[in-house]
Amino acid sequence: MTDSSPVHAAKDLFVETSDGPRLLGSRCDTCKAPYFPSSEACHNPDCDHSDIQPAHFGPHGTLWSVTVQNYPPPPPVVAPEPYSPYAVGLVDLETDGLRVIGRLHVEDPTSVKVGGPVELILAPLGSGQDGHEVISWQFEPR
Amino acid sequence: MGEVAVLGIGMHPWGKFPEKNLNSICRVAVDAALADAGVSWKEVGAVAAASSRFSGGKGWGLNGNDIVEDMGSTGLPVYNLSAGCAAGSNAFNVGHMMVASGAHDVVLVVGGEKMPKGFIQTSGLEDETDPEYLRQRCVGLPGPGFWALLTRQRMEEFGTSHEDLAAVAVKAHKVGTHNENARFRQLFSLEDILNSNMVSDPLRLYEICPVSDGAAAVVLCSEEYARKKASNPVWAASSAVATARFDDGLPRGLGCVPSPWRTHHSEARISVAKALEGAGIGPKDLDLVELQDNTVYYELAFPEEWGMCEPGESESLLHQGETLPNGSMPINPSGGFLCFGEATTAQGLFQICEVAWQLRGEAGERQVPGAKIGMAQSIGLGGNGTATVLKR
Repeated sequence: MTDSSPVHAAKDLFVETSDGPRLLGSRCDTCKAPYFPSSEACHNPDCDHSDIQPAHFGPHGTLWSVTVQNYPPPPPVVAPEPYSPYAVGLVDLETDGLRVIGRLHVEDPTSVKVGGPVELILAPLGSGQDGHEVISWQFEPR
Repeated sequence: MGEVAVLGIGMHPWGKFPEKNLNSICRVAVDAALADAGVSWKEVGAVAAASSRFSGGKGWGLNGNDIVEDMGSTGLPVYNLSAGCAAGSNAFNVGHMMVASGAHDVVLVVGGEKMPKGFIQTSGLEDETDPEYLRQRCVGLPGPGFWALLTRQRMEEFGTSHEDLAAVAVKAHKVGTHNENARFRQLFSLEDILNSNMVSDPLRLYEICPVSDGAAAVVLCSEEYARKKASNPVWAASSAVATARFDDGLPRGLGCVPSPWRTHHSEARISVAKALEGAGIGPKDLDLVELQDNTVYYELAFPEEWGMCEPGESESLLHQGETLPNGSMPINPSGGFLCFGEATTAQGLFQICEVAWQLRGEAGERQVPGAKIGMAQSIGLGGNGTATVLKR
């Protein structure tokens, strides 16, 4: 039997909290600039004092744009097997002041409407080359 | 700062040349540029070369050293410049500064590339501190998908249709068919483009540039030197380099701060504004522009972002024929990336060669009538942007 137990797509990028899933990032306490992934220092040239603190982002956002990936990209992309086209969105998390990309968790990828509300979830992207199911953050249209 | 002349230009045609090595491709471009300038190799005072990620350069991006060894090692200084897909025009900027400052009378600028098959692996790193790796591993958004997000947003904002997108590609091939250096010279109908495979919705295969092999070279020289060699040379009115702003709202990794700007590629906007200012002209004074059309989207978005026309106006200008060589706002008379394909680090120099040919009136069937001033523009990984204005 091969081990297909789920793994995270990357370390320290998302977490399941008692309030639901959140993205793990940081925010500069001086200028309030958000960072995802987390940053060790503030990169805002107009900020005169870097004061980075851990921050959670999500779960509510608005879809700024969307594309459907119609062909299988090469690794390290993890895709459904057998391949089926998936949607990727660019999402504005207005409360957090953050724009973030993420795969869209949706039955029909061509049905997604730009400008609509989406919510952060954690879900499998597919299986990686080593057979493990790979979990990442995704957005689900509401 | 002294005036800088574009004394010679040369190109190896774009295509796929598995039987040729990179040195032989570059040598064709360099020999052509030197012959065009009437300059011998021994007169070249310095070389500014684009560093390639994909070929040659001893694995260190030392592509200028490869060229010097091939042409004959005279002991001259070599500068290898890396700026992703903007490397060619970045090298032009350094060559321009070396001549303008008086450091050298004659500088050779060169970029050449042999590309691997298939989609470009942007960084190729497997490292969780690399944003491009994380973007592919955690989301799965290759380059065409990134362009598709921008395209779809434009469709929502301005009502751009699939037919509008396809019409950009039809127009590119209508002019590129006349360019002997272009790789894809066949004509396409709107239906041909619309029937090509959907790659990253809404972008189709024929609306995205593939990868190519190619090389281009430019000989720059001082005003005094130019007066001895040519009666009426092309001049570099300005050469500008910029990097992206923190707040331009373009997620180059996983996330960013949403932008107060309508423009997305701030590195392009800033470099173009600097180049126009340096040339002492406005965006509507350009007789032609060679811009980086990795995909049809950019030919619609960039002229608006730079003030050449109003936001949302590009589609109607396209359909009225205004972006053709004989129109009021000629764009990519070479045929652009859609007809050349992308030999990444050589692209910025093929654009500069085309602008120079246009200003000399040597562009044949794709000639912009009476062109006196034109611009070439590139962007590259890392938020690099360049813009060059040539005049005659």
